[in-house]
Amino acid sequence: MNEKKQGIKERPAEELGRHIIQWDPDISLCAGCGACEIVCSLIHEGVSGSRSRRIFFEHDSVQLMHKVYTCQQCLDHPCYNACPLKDKAMVIDPETNIVYVEEKECIGCARCVKACPFEPKRIQINRNKKAIKCDLCRGRENGPACIEYCQCLAIGMSDDSPPVPGVVVKV
Amino acid sequence: MPEQNQLPQYGYVGKIAWIDLTDQSVKIIPTSNYAPKFIGGRAIATKIYWDVTKPGMKAFDPENPLMFMTGPTTATGIPTGGRTSVCAMAPNNLPEQFCWGNIGGWFGAKLKFAGFDGIVIVGRSQLPVYIKIDDGEITFHDARNLWGTLTHDCQEKLRALHGKDAVSAVIGPAGENLCRNASINTSNDNVAAKAGFGAVMGSKNLKAIVVKGTGDVRPYSVDMVLKLRKTMGNPQRKANPVEYLDRCAFRAHINFKTKPGEVKKTNVACSHGCNMRCNLFVLDAKSAFPRKVTNQVHKCIGVYAFQMTEDCGMFPGMFFHTEKNHNQACLSQGAQVPPPPDTSDPHLEELMKRRPGSTLNFWDGDYDRGNVINDLCTQYGIDKWDVIVWLMTWLVMGKRTGVLDDIDLGMEIDPGNEEFMKHLLDMIVYRKGYWGNLFAEGMARAIRTLGKEKYGDTIYKGIISNVVPGLQLDIPISFESSWGHCFHWQGRGFQGSPPPGYYLSATLMLMTNTRDAQTNSHVHDTLDYMKETMDAHKACLNRKVAENAFMGEIKAEMKECITCCDLQSPQIYWPDMECQMLEAATGIKMSVEELYLACERSKNLFRAILMRDSGRCRAMEEPEAYRPLQYPDCEGQTVSPEEFSKLVDMYYDIWGWDREIGWPTRETWIRCGLEDVAEEMEKLGKLPPDRTNKS
Repeated sequence: MNEKKQGIKERPAEELGRHIIQWDPDISLCAGCGACEIVCSLIHEGVSGSRSRRIFFEHDSVQLMHKVYTCQQCLDHPCYNACPLKDKAMVIDPETNIVYVEEKECIGCARCVKACPFEPKRIQINRNKKAIKCDLCRGRENGPACIEYCQCLAIGMSDDSPPVPGVVVKV
Repeated sequence: MPEQNQLPQYGYVGKIAWIDLTDQSVKIIPTSNYAPKFIGGRAIATKIYWDVTKPGMKAFDPENPLMFMTGPTTATGIPTGGRTSVCAMAPNNLPEQFCWGNIGGWFGAKLKFAGFDGIVIVGRSQLPVYIKIDDGEITFHDARNLWGTLTHDCQEKLRALHGKDAVSAVIGPAGENLCRNASINTSNDNVAAKAGFGAVMGSKNLKAIVVKGTGDVRPYSVDMVLKLRKTMGNPQRKANPVEYLDRCAFRAHINFKTKPGEVKKTNVACSHGCNMRCNLFVLDAKSAFPRKVTNQVHKCIGVYAFQMTEDCGMFPGMFFHTEKNHNQACLSQGAQVPPPPDTSDPHLEELMKRRPGSTLNFWDGDYDRGNVINDLCTQYGIDKWDVIVWLMTWLVMGKRTGVLDDIDLGMEIDPGNEEFMKHLLDMIVYRKGYWGNLFAEGMARAIRTLGKEKYGDTIYKGIISNVVPGLQLDIPISFESSWGHCFHWQGRGFQGSPPPGYYLSATLMLMTNTRDAQTNSHVHDTLDYMKETMDAHKACLNRKVAENAFMGEIKAEMKECITCCDLQSPQIYWPDMECQMLEAATGIKMSVEELYLACERSKNLFRAILMRDSGRCRAMEEPEAYRPLQYPDCEGQTVSPEEFSKLVDMYYDIWGWDREIGWPTRETWIRCGLEDVAEEMEKLGKLPPDRTNKS
């Protein structure tokens, strides 16, 4: 989806890694259930709640043009670069080049949050004072849970082909 | 797993806020005062109402407790748990009686995230006010600058004031002006409308409740929640593109040509966490207001403003199921394409055989008019059922029969003309002049003021059946069913094509209610049940009809308590779905029988309130429910009062209520764990006599 249209501060596509995107409404309109952030927080934290999510669903109450904000997995890793405990608290996965958080090492300084170039920020500090960010459900067999549980196929991976209307996808 | 007599640490968040607008005070009540004996939602609200109110209270009295009550599944991610019960004494019921409603959107989930299982609002503010609930803190704010705003404008202003994560429940001008059919509106154009609770908010000078919450809700089992997300409602994972059509084709009988690409439609979910998208969503639709265009959500009823040349038809598979084909109604309500049926089902042809709606010819297709009328109802905050199904049809039939000849509404009466509807709803919502004030009292009261014999009961001879082609169906010009509400799958007038096994069960459910019950009690059963009950006379002697109504009411309680949605429950071939939902949310493991008993408790307590406050008994409710059955169904069948009485006998037996007077017996109160209610009933002289010696 057009990044500007999604309300994301623009960065050239070549500076972004493989990340979760929201499709254009003409491909699939987000139905607004919030399943993406619900399953995200359930799977990672065992609870449902906005402080525990790694994907940011912004609900439009009236016109229903909902937005889903996700970590763009910047190739230059400003969050990692800002971390005082890089390679311990914030680590780059050597296989995927994606930054993930080792929560037990994180001191909750929030420098990564400040360094995130996007608005709204794609990293947050959770209730346990640990940074949390999308790592595409690293290690999860079925890949990102938000994509698996979106009934509308309204989100996908940036290198995916758009879903075909009418075709039921099974995982 | 938690002890069943203690409030679990899962599902619930543990607090209910008692908010008094008169002195702007807040008191916190532990949810454990009520749950888990009263599971949640409507059950808790009913218990609170029973405890704190006294007979004689009116809907607009400050003491009337307006309650928003979530269930243990709310905000857990369990599908359909996002819906919230709303309860109070209802102004739009005739007579005013304690009533329930429910609302989707994100309001209930936000309440939980803010730390509350529910709120109870009493009192009356001197000046217009709105309540802000923000992570456990409840404050009161001046709403004079919001008073008079339309529902969308109000929600957007509150969002601008309090942030994009703020969700609100608001009223429009209809609620402010105490229109008895005023709605409470929230996100996604979700409303609690039928009972007129918007007017209760108005009577309290309460414009809105805005909620922000960043707390957590912890379900007992994430694995169970995730499993339910993939199984409840048989969801399909497929794209949801905006379609650009040259037809307004929202139903089989709402289908007419428009300009190419004019109709932009897709589907949306109604509430937090739902795994379906039952609601029709139209984009860039004509607005009745300066916004010019707007996006609109339509549930089942809004689409009838576009065209009503033919009544709503049905096919058995919507409500009656076989082992191989049992998709829920939601898959057909939102103009979605349901999954392909299992063609190996030998009953497939019967399931799909359409029972067409009757020919009405009330108004022709007009896409802009339909959108304008829906926008008027949404933005003013007024019940679409009262306007589209009752007021508009009454105007057409009243005009054609000459009944309205002496009524001057300031424009030619023509519900098919959007300018007339704008003029009329403006009069009603702002209570302009005699007619505006009259219809602001709701259709049931307006017709009685005018004179029911002429303005309600005059027979209209223009409805022609398509189930028995050419058969003229003579029914009154007023589509009134019971308790001040209009037909809704009652087998007459509007949604008049279901077979007797459906509408007789629906009539029983309506009988013991205080409002149209079909919003949470659509009849479901097996195809065999439907086939066995096609003859209305024989169906009145068939205990299965009474059993179906009992199941429907129990399931309705489940939906309102746990909470769940009428479009995903009941699942005839998955009887313990709600047990699984409850366990996933709370860890409380109940058998189907145990959950049924908990719901019987809630329903019987509801009945206790009606007995105590409204004199509810068989002599009051049976004739009220029977009235529509004297008119022909789509096959010309009618039912006599004596036949209906036999059905009521069986139905009362199943509930454990005395046949003669319709009151629960002492044994029933005790079986439901309501010994205190039995004592109260004895004091009131409302325990039925022991009839065991009679035999």
